[in-house]
Amino acid sequence: MEGRPKDESELFSRAQRGDTAAYEEIVQRYQLVAFRTAYVITGSAADAEEAAQDGFVKAYRALGTFRSGAEPRPWLLKIVANEARNRVRSAGRRHHLELRLAERFRPGDAAPSPEAEVVAADDARRLLDQVNALSEEDRLVITSRYLLELSGEETAAALGIPEGTVKSRLSRALGRLRTTLGEVSRA
Amino acid sequence: MPELEQQLNTLAAQIEWPATPNLVPAVRSRITARVVLRAPWYQSRWALAAAALVIALAALVAYQPSREAIASWINVHVLFQRVHVIPTPSPLPPGPLGQRLGLGNQTTLSDAQKGVTWHVVVPSKLGDPDEVYLQLPPTGSAQGEVTLVYSTRPDIKVAGETGVSVLVTEARGAVDRNFFGKMLGPGTTVEEVTVAGHRGYWIAGSPHDFYFTDANGSFRSETFRLATNTLILDFGGTIVRIEGNLTKAQALEIAASLR
Repeated sequence: MEGRPKDESELFSRAQRGDTAAYEEIVQRYQLVAFRTAYVITGSAADAEEAAQDGFVKAYRALGTFRSGAEPRPWLLKIVANEARNRVRSAGRRHHLELRLAERFRPGDAAPSPEAEVVAADDARRLLDQVNALSEEDRLVITSRYLLELSGEETAAALGIPEGTVKSRLSRALGRLRTTLGEVSRA
Repeated sequence: MPELEQQLNTLAAQIEWPATPNLVPAVRSRITARVVLRAPWYQSRWALAAAALVIALAALVAYQPSREAIASWINVHVLFQRVHVIPTPSPLPPGPLGQRLGLGNQTTLSDAQKGVTWHVVVPSKLGDPDEVYLQLPPTGSAQGEVTLVYSTRPDIKVAGETGVSVLVTEARGAVDRNFFGKMLGPGTTVEEVTVAGHRGYWIAGSPHDFYFTDANGSFRSETFRLATNTLILDFGGTIVRIEGNLTKAQALEIAASLR
């Protein structure tokens, strides 16, 4: 995910003064996390692209509400995630999100990654299968926090819930995931 | 860190995400050249047909023989009375200025600032405003609208019978010259200007209506209160309108002093 360059607040200040080039740089920096967050919510790459685009346009118009010195990622993610949820609501259905392992990590691939930390291919597939099989609420919080690597504040903004709720929801979701993984390994 | 969380953290690097599209060109085109997708209501076929019907009926009612024929036909005794409609913006009835010009509630500059999320800019060239008004949704623009009223100022003629020399109105949003320029009447000209890096438009003549996209992205039209020369400035996402019997040089000087 993107880093947080020191001139971020300067970029936002310039954008707030109407500098569209500064805002384009903001879009460039945050489009990856915005698009993936929208993808996790909508389950569709096409919907995620539209939601992220609409979110960035709305964020531009709402730049006046951005407090100087505040963290930009939660602010932007909140707007983009709202767009994504609105899109799901208006469509009346959500595509089922089915996350996949990148090809080089799939079981049976000849050359395993050299990094020692990489979870063994079979274990990775088993874990991802169980994440995919979680309830929507559990899957959203685990995917946002661990697979999108959002902070607690960013997860709260993306899911539209208080940070305290993220913690309790995450704890329960991890508990259920542990249980199902235990059942699978015993079977 | 517990083992499961560690495994999930490691799994993050192994996920196959869809390729991230480059959103910059699309976002750029939407924020720099906003297109009005829906024609205003008065351009619809139904509205034009209704307007034609109203005009036809008004012509019949205005002409005394047909008026009496209509009254006789519908078998009622109706007194058609011509009502003197007070033209906007002047002359105006007595009463509080804000009410007369539809500016919202009178307040102080500091309270107006507390009522909105953006920084309210004030032109130092005109000194302190004589009155300040705040209009919040639903009647005001999304995120509210602040108006600074300047009564008499040297070298600026008071507009109409308003007792006002200059009005400075501020709201969050964006303007699209391609659209609002077409809505201005004959004899009114639009010229693009730049003030301290902020893009703006100098509208000379007697403009009456103004169209913009507010902070929610909703299309909005407003009436210029003074129907005088007007400078519109995009001040970092805040639309600042400076209305008054001003020369272009005076308006630009006032705009340059916005802080």
